[in-house]
Amino acid sequence: MLGPQIWAAMALFAGFISLGVASWLYRWVRKQDPGSERAQEVASWIRDGARTYLRRLYLALTLMALGMGFIIAMVFAFDIEHLGTGAVRLAPGRGLSMAIAFLAGALCSAVAGYMGMSIAVEANVRSATAAQESLGGAFKVAFYAGSVMGLAMVGLAIIGMSAIYLLTGDPEIILGFSFGASALALLAKAGGGIYTKTADIAADLVGKVEIGIPEDDPRNPAVVADNVGDNVGDVAGMGADVFDSYVASTVAAMLLAASIFASDPAAQVRHVLFPLMLCTLGILASLIGIRFVRVEKGGSPGRALNGGTIITTAIFAVMASALVLLGGYNLGLLWATLAGLVTGVVIGFTSDYYTSARFRPVVETARVSGSGAAINIITGFSYGLVSIVPSIIGIVAATLISFYLTNLSGISGIYGVGISAVGMLSISGMIVSSDAYGPIVDNARGIAEMAGMSQEVIDTTDILDAAGNTAKAITKGFAISAAALTVLALFSAYAEVVGARGIELVISLRDPVVVAGVLLGAVTPPLFSALTMLSVTDNAFEMIEEVRRQFRERPGILAGTEPPDYAACVALASRGALTSLVWPAFLAVALPLLVGFVLGPEALGGFLGGSIFTGVIFALLMSNAGGLWDNAKKYVEGGRFGGPGSDAHKASVVGDTVGDPFKDTAGPSLNTLITVMSLVSSLFAPIIAALHLFR
Amino acid sequence: MSRDIHLYLSLIPEALIASMLTPEEFGVYYAVGTSKKARGQAIFFEVDPGFRHDYFRIDDGFRRCVPHEDGSPKASIYISVYRVLEHVSLHALGKLYLATSDGRVLGLESSDHVPEPTNGLHLYQEIAPVNPLVVSSLGPKPFYELIVKNPNILIRLPAICFAELRLGELAEDPEHGNVGDLPYSRIEHLRQCLRALATKTVDSKMVNRTEPATFSYRTIKSGIFVGNEMELRFYPCPSPMTLRAEHYRWWRSAWSA
Repeated sequence: MLGPQIWAAMALFAGFISLGVASWLYRWVRKQDPGSERAQEVASWIRDGARTYLRRLYLALTLMALGMGFIIAMVFAFDIEHLGTGAVRLAPGRGLSMAIAFLAGALCSAVAGYMGMSIAVEANVRSATAAQESLGGAFKVAFYAGSVMGLAMVGLAIIGMSAIYLLTGDPEIILGFSFGASALALLAKAGGGIYTKTADIAADLVGKVEIGIPEDDPRNPAVVADNVGDNVGDVAGMGADVFDSYVASTVAAMLLAASIFASDPAAQVRHVLFPLMLCTLGILASLIGIRFVRVEKGGSPGRALNGGTIITTAIFAVMASALVLLGGYNLGLLWATLAGLVTGVVIGFTSDYYTSARFRPVVETARVSGSGAAINIITGFSYGLVSIVPSIIGIVAATLISFYLTNLSGISGIYGVGISAVGMLSISGMIVSSDAYGPIVDNARGIAEMAGMSQEVIDTTDILDAAGNTAKAITKGFAISAAALTVLALFSAYAEVVGARGIELVISLRDPVVVAGVLLGAVTPPLFSALTMLSVTDNAFEMIEEVRRQFRERPGILAGTEPPDYAACVALASRGALTSLVWPAFLAVALPLLVGFVLGPEALGGFLGGSIFTGVIFALLMSNAGGLWDNAKKYVEGGRFGGPGSDAHKASVVGDTVGDPFKDTAGPSLNTLITVMSLVSSLFAPIIAALHLFR
Repeated sequence: MSRDIHLYLSLIPEALIASMLTPEEFGVYYAVGTSKKARGQAIFFEVDPGFRHDYFRIDDGFRRCVPHEDGSPKASIYISVYRVLEHVSLHALGKLYLATSDGRVLGLESSDHVPEPTNGLHLYQEIAPVNPLVVSSLGPKPFYELIVKNPNILIRLPAICFAELRLGELAEDPEHGNVGDLPYSRIEHLRQCLRALATKTVDSKMVNRTEPATFSYRTIKSGIFVGNEMELRFYPCPSPMTLRAEHYRWWRSAWSA
């Protein structure tokens, strides 16, 4: 059998292959026809806007990462094993390793996001241009561009994790890598979410509602910011989100293995490496699955994307089975892997049920919209609440199946839960490829409209766009469920890390300190949601005034005789999104530390539990209700219940506007929030265990 | 560069206007407005600039229609805003222009043939000189004749411009017909009015007396009718497919409103 170092080296190699394929696809997409001069001009507005935002975001993130890296280096330079004993010893090497790992995590996440964004803003115009020839060609350009994000993300993640493991052999250092990735993800996701909805709401409320110009009309000053927002929110943001869950779930499982198998070094190494091996197989399965995603003549993009996911899932299941059976692993680990994998895919498709116009919830919400906005909102919100149930049942099933089957097989059930999360996220390469396809074809449609391309091209991009919306809904459900399982594993890892310092974590609801922690944790996701959504309304208010000002002071814009000032809206959205991140970021990092250092590790355990419960519920509710309202509006716009301009349409527009920050700002950021808080807690657990005020 | 002076008969609101703008420019100006003027949907005819009637001081209006000091063309000189339609000869009318609220303009030519009435009930949006929404069992031509030429009815107009709007399944089955993409407000009241036509001894019934003259262009069934005691003219609206293929910008604006 191969030695453990070889497995880590193979994981590293798989990461480079993934990155290599991503680079090849990047070049392939760039070689495609960029289209007419007009189309390229429109695309350049979006590209420049995206670059402006990314430049500002990454500058802010660099400063944040350096600052936090310095703090981590200082804090972990003290030998935490002996903290609180009075004999302070220094371990500068460990502090430096942890800080470098943190910076590497942030850097890898940033590079993956940058690659994804860079190719997305090149691919949109090329996909629109290819749509002049065929649906299949346009699909291929968009999907391959999406795959750059998917493959770069998993490639960089596994390169980072395996390289750190090869260099240090210590999973706790990889925790630093994971924290770096998550910290960046939180800011990228929340910032992207605030940006995209600021632009979207301003463009819709002034352009569509007040002035009456159609979607993607080039006369709307906010239209470019809106298209840029699709990329920063759904490509860079969602990519960073899944990247952080992917790394965190792997690290959690590695940490659990290190702790559970501590008495048997050989078994410890084998089980620490098992999650990395699953990631390696997931990458290979994704690389094969991507090859099967194509639209033949008369084919459907939605079917192609779903087919790709199912094929990748099947290939991975076969590979994982082979690994467990041939590698001599306990069979319980296979059941845990498969439970996570199947649950992830099923929950993804369940989200589609609640947000797709093919099913009852959306149709019913559209139907009652004729009675007004209030009824639309109540109905959509109620279905959003119902939509939580199947996902929670899925998470419960995956948790219990993986726990008990692993336990029955003679391995700690907690490790099984961790492996279940890894199993779910192992096919992230494919999932993110499908997700990133969405904003690319959304932009392609916008460019076709703004560049005055033919009706046939717009029809083709409409078909591509519809499939992108479904992929987006599936990915959101998948990402939230994966994050839920990940934080459950991280929670266990936190308990193990604290336990390793001699404190047996007893989280009892009869203990008032724990209850205090639970309540404080439970309130954090709603507070975070409120802060991000209020940021959207504040920034949208400013941008609405800017768009109104442009229309008022320059009537030539609407008359089509002078161009609007797109850059002003792009700058406003960028500035607003970044300045709005301060408090949410502070909340994510400072609050768990505050609870831990003041109330102690049990309270922090309760805090994490409370935040996980409300975080998952809020994330599912907001994402699904928002998607449902959006599609109810589109359903009415498709000519049902009175169509555009009807009372039902006016009500559904209100519902959609309410749902916008739900589904694209607060909802998807919550999974990153709970991951970051769990990671901060796990990372600082040894210090908190040694130094806390209350007990 | 000297510009011709055009004469327009606006229907929302009813007015006779002299302008140095071409019909497309005038449509954009009238719908989109300037920084200080109101805006919204506009419907207007181009009128033969040689047309004269004692009721209007057209020549005075033309004399005042001169470029601004900066050389830009004069957009509008209002010649009359009262009882205009009834005093304009239909022979002087050129194309009819439909401008969306965001300034996309579609020109319609008149047709020699008034369409044959289809089966079922009808819905009419009167545009000028008054603008109620009316349901009727009469086809467009009998409806016009009833309002303009029938000496026996109480409410009679000297001229009228109206659009026939789609009723979809409601035309045949007011009780249970599917609303589909009909955007009308208070759809139950509309059903009631349609049902009343079947049970009462009236040909027409007002659905809403305070309906604004503006309406969604995508609801136009066949086209727009304009008639006075002398004649009826019909301006057919192309099918949605044709509009989408040949007038995409206008179609997209009209269909998303």
